[in-house]
Amino acid sequence: MINIFKSKLAFASLIFPLIAFSNETKLQEEKELELINFNSIRKVLQEDGLSQQALNKKKEVEKLKVEKAKINAQRSLYPQEEDMWGFLSEYFLVKNAQLLNWDYQKPEYGIDISFKELLEKLGFYQKKMKVLVLNTPSVHRGILPGAHKEDIYLISLPFIRSLDLSKLEISLLLLEDFFRSEDDMVRSRIKTKKFEEIVGSSIKGKVDQSFLKEMLSRYDQSLKTGYSFQQQFEITKKMDSYLKAHPDLWNTYFRLLGKINEFIKGNNLYKNYINLYPSPEMQIKWLSPEKKVL
Amino acid sequence: MRYFLLLLLFSSQVMAQNVATDEKVVGLFYFLPLLGHVHQSPEKTSASLTTIQCSHPVKVIESSKVVINPSWAYVEVADYRGFIRKEFLSEKRPDCFQGRYPNFFDGLNLDLSELYYWGRLYDQYIQVETRVR
Repeated sequence: MINIFKSKLAFASLIFPLIAFSNETKLQEEKELELINFNSIRKVLQEDGLSQQALNKKKEVEKLKVEKAKINAQRSLYPQEEDMWGFLSEYFLVKNAQLLNWDYQKPEYGIDISFKELLEKLGFYQKKMKVLVLNTPSVHRGILPGAHKEDIYLISLPFIRSLDLSKLEISLLLLEDFFRSEDDMVRSRIKTKKFEEIVGSSIKGKVDQSFLKEMLSRYDQSLKTGYSFQQQFEITKKMDSYLKAHPDLWNTYFRLLGKINEFIKGNNLYKNYINLYPSPEMQIKWLSPEKKVL
Repeated sequence: MRYFLLLLLFSSQVMAQNVATDEKVVGLFYFLPLLGHVHQSPEKTSASLTTIQCSHPVKVIESSKVVINPSWAYVEVADYRGFIRKEFLSEKRPDCFQGRYPNFFDGLNLDLSELYYWGRLYDQYIQVETRVR
């Protein structure tokens, strides 16, 4: 009895793979047949535009694959230059939050509307920027590069209050910084060789902390160093040429420089202003019409 | 006991109806800035309930009980209900910095206070945008 069972089992074990194999080949044949059938209806498909659609889809998939590969490669990269500027400026502001003291309840000065109106009046459209009012006298004003030219303008609340600046006067000071950014005086002061090398490159191991440290100190330095006489002259002349078409604005700017000049001479807290923005006295001179010698 | 259970069931149904009539989910939005806060009240400087990252889903709620400045949205994020400025919300999932450069962002190891201040920064910015010509 056992012997009969064993022989049946052996027979079944021999037969089963054969059946399975034959099924598999059939399936393959079926696939081939389907292909043949597809070929036979190719003309119909072409007439319906379906084969073109399939081709388009294939191309689309290829494109998506390339994009995905790009994104995956980007995941382990340092940010591209534009992204890096915006990120580093904010990183600097966050790291110096207590020192720069920007997180407090501030009055609404209407700077946004006033500065926007001023820029539009002078023909600057599609411009985006951020203004941060600091509650510290240690930084009077400044500008940090932002992502995609969306720069960050800094202005001190004690400076505004001490000078009793109107929103138009604040906007005119911001306009000076706007021109500095347009003339690439901002990024060039902070940029280092290492910055140029690192942006968009791949991260080898860990993020280079020494690079971040170096950049933070460059930012710090940029707010303490200020601009040269030559740079100030260029900006003042640019302000002059843009504001001349609007005498009310030109007069306000001229009076503002006089106001700052008087203020910094008599206030020890703001004595270093002259080193950062040399100098309101010279600016007044550059703006004043030349005296004719008879 | 049976009456008590019935009463409990009835009262919970009545409460549920009240909630349903008072509140409406406007939709699911995504947070836009790099980092930000869900505020306790609709003010830039109000206390933070929680810090959220770019692309975080935010449920915007309309409630007859909460009347706020139209530039603010009443939101629900995880277990918190608070306020976020509408300009920080988008219907589409944004392309975030930390999404584009995750290894760089994670490699910075920002501590809690830095994350907090980064969120506050977006509240403190005065945004200026000139029109298209």
